Amino acid sequence: MVDMTTRFFEDLDRRGFEPLLVKTSGTLRFDLHEGAQTTHWLLEIDRGNLRVRQEDGEADTVVGTDPRLFGALVDGEENAIAALLRGDMTVVGDLRLVLQIERVFPGPPDSRGPHHAFARRAA
Amino acid sequence: MAGSNTVRILDGNTFVVSEDTGDIEATPSEPTGLFSLDTRYLSKWVLTVNGERLNALSYDDLQYYEARFFLVPGMATHYVDAKLSIIRERVVGGSFRETLTILNHDEKAVDLEIRMDAGSDFADLFQVKDEILNKKGELYAEAEPDRLRLGYRRGNFKRETVVSTNQPARYDNRGFAFSVHLEPNEQWNVLIDVQTFAIGPGGRDLRIGLRAHGTERLALQHDLEEWIEKAPKVNSEHGRVAATYRRSLVDLAALRFSPLSLGGQTLPAAGLPWFMTMFGRDSILTCLQVLPFAPEMSKTTLRILGALQGTRFDDFRDEDPGRILHEMRYGETAAFEEQPHSPYYGSVDATPLFVVLLDEYERWSGDVALVKELERECRAALRWIDDYADLVGNGYIWYERRNTDTGLENQCWKDSWDSVSYADGSLPPFPRASCEVQGYAYDAKIRAARMAREFWGDPGYAEQLEREAAELKARFNRDWWVDDGGFYALALDPQGRKCDVLSSNIGHLLWSGIVDDERAPRIAEHLIGPRLWSGWGVRTLAEGEVRYNPIGYHNGAIWPFDNSFVAWGLRRYGFAEEAATVANGILDAATYFDGRLPEAFGGYQRELTKFPVEYPTACSPQAWSTGAPLLLIRTMLGLEPHEGHLAVDPRLPVGMGRIEVLDIPGRWGRVDAFARGRLDLHNLAG
Repeated sequence: MVDMTTRFFEDLDRRGFEPLLVKTSGTLRFDLHEGAQTTHWLLEIDRGNLRVRQEDGEADTVVGTDPRLFGALVDGEENAIAALLRGDMTVVGDLRLVLQIERVFPGPPDSRGPHHAFARRAA
Repeated sequence: MAGSNTVRILDGNTFVVSEDTGDIEATPSEPTGLFSLDTRYLSKWVLTVNGERLNALSYDDLQYYEARFFLVPGMATHYVDAKLSIIRERVVGGSFRETLTILNHDEKAVDLEIRMDAGSDFADLFQVKDEILNKKGELYAEAEPDRLRLGYRRGNFKRETVVSTNQPARYDNRGFAFSVHLEPNEQWNVLIDVQTFAIGPGGRDLRIGLRAHGTERLALQHDLEEWIEKAPKVNSEHGRVAATYRRSLVDLAALRFSPLSLGGQTLPAAGLPWFMTMFGRDSILTCLQVLPFAPEMSKTTLRILGALQGTRFDDFRDEDPGRILHEMRYGETAAFEEQPHSPYYGSVDATPLFVVLLDEYERWSGDVALVKELERECRAALRWIDDYADLVGNGYIWYERRNTDTGLENQCWKDSWDSVSYADGSLPPFPRASCEVQGYAYDAKIRAARMAREFWGDPGYAEQLEREAAELKARFNRDWWVDDGGFYALALDPQGRKCDVLSSNIGHLLWSGIVDDERAPRIAEHLIGPRLWSGWGVRTLAEGEVRYNPIGYHNGAIWPFDNSFVAWGLRRYGFAEEAATVANGILDAATYFDGRLPEAFGGYQRELTKFPVEYPTACSPQAWSTGAPLLLIRTMLGLEPHEGHLAVDPRLPVGMGRIEVLDIPGRWGRVDAFARGRLDLHNLAG
């Protein structure tokens, strides 16, 4: 079974373009540390165009977290800004890139959105 | 809130609130301290000389970032026998630095034991008014040979205060001390440096590389001088308007805030001391107020709010796609999701106001590039209005929080629990729709239509928006009009029943343009009529309403910011004299507060109290109160961008004399505006 993180990055790479990032350019590296092992994901953003590689390379911003938390972030279970403030996620380099990519993460799976009163009446 | 004898200095969101001796001894009722990133880094900072507390002779808050305290040993007595003077000078600029100077006035030499007790509870800003009993993490204090380290650790969340001095001190876990020998007329100095750290697991501080300007005193001074130099000059015959303007300009400089994500650019924070952070509503309204004087704030505000615009459903944060944030916080409760401010989106006015500000900013600046840059965000904001905010499905913006534990009940500017009521005083159920927000939505559509036609190359969208706006206006004038009162209801409940109370919100409706022309005179009449008009300003709720109370926060108190938009609205519909009446009342009130308007003051009749009574726990300076005099000056002078140049159409009351505003920046370069008081207001108000 493919894990959430792999699915997230593969999906970004397949899409190749994210309209929420059209004003963003730069390279982010995600270092997912587990014990002595680190998995690297390198994400290049060029005005919304995306390219993902699973490698350790130069980046404008390096994000460090444990793989479990990162899986929860891309699943919407955890929030990246709160994780950053908590120190559970570290950022070296341009913080703005993290705040931009964070917007692509989904909301919590149990969030329903606005309760439309007319929908309630109809139900 | 801190009492009135406290001294507050700040730089960005680092600030110090202390007693008039400079000491800090935080309690829930006197929440003093050194704060940064929404965290208290010092809750104890008490100076003693030979074991004795000190007594304040005087203090000066010289600039917003520095203060000076003159002290003598012993508590206040009839006669202060001062053989020693102690001067504390402090500056906040990134870190907190205090210089102690001790002077011996005695003819004999003295030996002194000088001690500073230092401690921190690392309270989150949301906790400072509570007894803090059960911090979930661990507090620690480590005395090292050359420094004292105070810290708090909860998982990877780590905050540290590090105190060091430029003279050797004896450090222990509760402070530090010096033994000093002073000959007659000799003096001794020490510089104490207090650094605040927000440390991640890698040992790096969250805030690295994010400072707006240098942290040295000289850099702060230079920055303030440059800020004042860049702004237009205001001269007035009687000096009072000019003095109020100058005070506002300096306070606005103090309230500039550099969010973590903006790389050092600044936008207005909401207010000192408890609201030194980004608020969608407050930041946007302040930008609108100060556009003729400090336009660059609008650009950074729009960019940062656009960059943090909602993209998904998050019920804890009340986030929807396209929604503009309400409030951002950086403290422990936000980090551990005990509060939703990471960021919180529970506001319904920030989103339409975002569109309004972008258009207004372009009309002044001619910055078409920004309008193009933010087209996507504007469209998303407009989609939010139609798709997600219309909870009842009848074409209005409604609110009902999804975070029922820590979210906001009332998501309009009058956000206290009892601010929305029916005429019988009872509170309506949710969802609720507040009238001024419908006006903002109307204005946002009209303004977005202009941007779509002129800059986005989408005339079809422009026509659609104009059609929707016209339908909204017709619908609103049908559904919200209270016939027997001759005004618009404050709010609607989900069944369409009106909250039929007379409120200041109708002035915002004039500002937005949603009021039918034939109804505008009735609205203007109400605004300066006896029920709403106190003589100083327009009350939030009219006298005679069940919930009216002259010191009711949103139920009768007078808010200078509210009045500035009321005046703008009156002017928009051609009620120049009524607008001048409001401007005159508020600017008169400002002189009682040395030019620094509080958040709110009492709605008492002017003849009754003779002076404006400050609202008990008002926050000051507060950004949109600071911006109010600037918008009132704009309104009285009738400053309006018109086809690439600045139109000036002054309507000033006689008593105001001559006013000139020099070097108003905009697409025209810089131009001057002159005005002379000609209006006799005596026949009007009452």
